[in-house]
Amino acid sequence: MTATTFTIPTLETDRLILRAHREEDIAAEKAFFATDASRFVGGPLPAHRAWRTVAMMIGHWALRGYGFWALEHKATGTYLGRVGLWFPDGWDEREVGWTLMPAAWGKGFATEAAEAARTYAYDILGWDTAISQIDPENEPSKAVARRLGATFEKTYEDPEYGTIEVWRHPAPESLVNGGMEAYA
Amino acid sequence: MLTNAPTLETQNLILRGPRHEDARAVLDFLCDTERSAGFGAHDNRSDAWRWFALNVGHWHWHGYGYFTIEDKETGAPAGITGVWNPHGWPEPELGWVVFRGFEGKGIAYEAAHRARAWAYAPDGLGLATLTSNIVPGNTRSVALAERLGATYERTYTNVHMGEDMMYRHPSPETLAAEGMA
Repeated sequence: MTATTFTIPTLETDRLILRAHREEDIAAEKAFFATDASRFVGGPLPAHRAWRTVAMMIGHWALRGYGFWALEHKATGTYLGRVGLWFPDGWDEREVGWTLMPAAWGKGFATEAAEAARTYAYDILGWDTAISQIDPENEPSKAVARRLGATFEKTYEDPEYGTIEVWRHPAPESLVNGGMEAYA
Repeated sequence: MLTNAPTLETQNLILRGPRHEDARAVLDFLCDTERSAGFGAHDNRSDAWRWFALNVGHWHWHGYGYFTIEDKETGAPAGITGVWNPHGWPEPELGWVVFRGFEGKGIAYEAAHRARAWAYAPDGLGLATLTSNIVPGNTRSVALAERLGATYERTYTNVHMGEDMMYRHPSPETLAAEGMA
């Protein structure tokens, strides 16, 4: 990898490291996008499209100053997926997003990471609100949104993804100590 | 700066890394489906923006990608050229595109020639060979490849473009021997 001209900060939570993607993370993403587990995030996709998706996420950082972090399991170094702040061209609003590899499901990692990403958006970037866009059938993701204190706002029809639910996160001023205590 | 791309110069052009302000011209090109058919057309600007972001990420991972070709006289983005090698590509290729309104001025040749010299230069990428992938029927691109000294090698299936013709550029040594570098 060559030196970058923009910064992707590294964040830490109890169990996770949020860091810049490396090319070796692609193997896990390719495997994920090859299966139906990726159906809520635009998959399944062939391997070359998975590579482009992650490279595009790097470019999002350069263009927007924020983006998706790679999620690394602190204890094992395993790549668990990604979480981040997303606002590609054409998006109505800035989003907090999370996508975990199937082996990392059901352990609270998405909630833990998304909370750190949202705190970064509110405290460092100065966002005053954030949404998460979720497929109506993606119950585990909606559960994460609920744990983060987000509430269902509306549905809309996306030309690419079909019906999408918009969940609204609590405003920064209504979150106490990063927000998790208030909703525990 | 979005990338660490060097800035290269020719008589009429500047080749530099992509910048925010290039987005409009690049998206216009990508969504001009007739013009970008041989490159990889996009039917909406959101997807085209994602290609723009992809190019920035490509620079980050590979240390190369598409330069913006800036027309010295007007300062306007006139096209893109560079070395492209996303996942699934057979090998790094030299690519070029000239935007609407900048055709017929020899810009593609001048820019691609400079980009290739950088790709081969020991203080550039130091590559030993380069290809150009051209979809069948893109006669303008074939003509330019041949003008650059490239020759047809084989037809293969590109993961992104489908049926594709691979042209092989002369090696750095051959160019040096022929005084073409």
